Amino acid sequence: MQQARQPNYMEILKLDDDELRKRLAFYELTDEDFKRLNSLKSFADRWTHEITEGLYELIMGQPESREFFPDQATLARVKKMQNSYFLGLFSGTYDLNYVRDRLRVGMAHERIGMPPKLYLGAYRRYLALIHERLLDHFKDNVTEATRALESIRKVIFFDMALAIDTYIAAYLETMTRHQAAIRELSTPVIKVHDRILLLPIVGTVDTQRAHQIMETVLVQVVEEQAKVMILDIAGVPVVDTKVADHILKTTAAVQLLGGQTILTGISASVARTVVELGVEITRMHTRAKLSEGIELALSIVGKKIAPKTAHAGGEGA
Amino acid sequence: MAAGPIPILKIGATLLATIQIELHDTVVDSFQNDVLEQIEKTGARGLIIDISALETVDSYVARMLANTAKMAKLMGTNTVIVGMRPAVAATLVRMGYYMEGITTALSLEEGLKLQSNGSEPTDDERS
Repeated sequence: MQQARQPNYMEILKLDDDELRKRLAFYELTDEDFKRLNSLKSFADRWTHEITEGLYELIMGQPESREFFPDQATLARVKKMQNSYFLGLFSGTYDLNYVRDRLRVGMAHERIGMPPKLYLGAYRRYLALIHERLLDHFKDNVTEATRALESIRKVIFFDMALAIDTYIAAYLETMTRHQAAIRELSTPVIKVHDRILLLPIVGTVDTQRAHQIMETVLVQVVEEQAKVMILDIAGVPVVDTKVADHILKTTAAVQLLGGQTILTGISASVARTVVELGVEITRMHTRAKLSEGIELALSIVGKKIAPKTAHAGGEGA
Repeated sequence: MAAGPIPILKIGATLLATIQIELHDTVVDSFQNDVLEQIEKTGARGLIIDISALETVDSYVARMLANTAKMAKLMGTNTVIVGMRPAVAATLVRMGYYMEGITTALSLEEGLKLQSNGSEPTDDERS
């Protein structure tokens, strides 16, 4: 698979200083939490290994989550990453760099296709494991343990939100890419000859597509400085008033630019419908077949298709 | 030549007006006056209005351009509007404003070609 340029999720999610402040406020992460978390560093160092092992016990215990870690090498690598993730929770600084790092975690999970249900489920076990160790760490001081757990919970929820946002942004990104591809495929403008373009329209034309056709046609006409745009509607199943109107509008717009359109691929039934519907299309060039349209287009730009005569060239029969 | 905010240049028997600023109502009126006065003064046979710099053209401006062309026609001058942007054309058509009877060209060069041909029937009318 090619390594496509990584979309900048910091930018997509509009994660700047202001947004960071808002997020920290909403998760009620205060300086007090930061200090408390920072003071738990030794606790983190002491237990990170065991907590990671406990977490992967759950993950490797279920077939659905196990399949994401097919071999020992992968497992060892993610465990190491998990350890540094855990230590990161207690770093005491939660700035944009921290956010960037957390987004990377989200992206990694999204990339391997880990569904959010497993991701969130694992966090549940994670919190339970931490809770257990905290009670132990603070001996019987339940109040302190609860406070510490609450601070950790805040950071973890803060992290989870970032990861889920990344998931959603990544899905949206994929969808946008697909839509763009479909859009491109639905209006393939072909250069037939110098200053002559052809757009074969295949399939149903609804309002959205009609707009897009007009947009593409106009931009292409200007870009190629095309004198003629041939619209071939042989592939349009139904031509009703709406479709006819869209084509008329496109023609008018091309004329405003200084170009012309030729409508080709008009079958007998389409011709009948158009006249019966009373659509006024006398203002545009129309031809039954595409080949006739191309001939007309050539004549507009001052050229023509001529039969090859014996004296025209030596390479003939 | 012209005193207005839109310069009108004379090239041979053709006047060229390049609109580089957004057209407000007052500018529009004075532009129309300037153009017609220049036609009267120079006896130009052709007029090219270049609107390639305009990002928007509302119905008022479109009507003014069409009317100016009609007025010029009455004075024996053929008008070609050149360089309309795709987005402008799309908007005008969607508003139902087709500017019928107005000659257009893709570029200034095309416009000059049309004018030097004496603005005789364009290709589409010949077919």
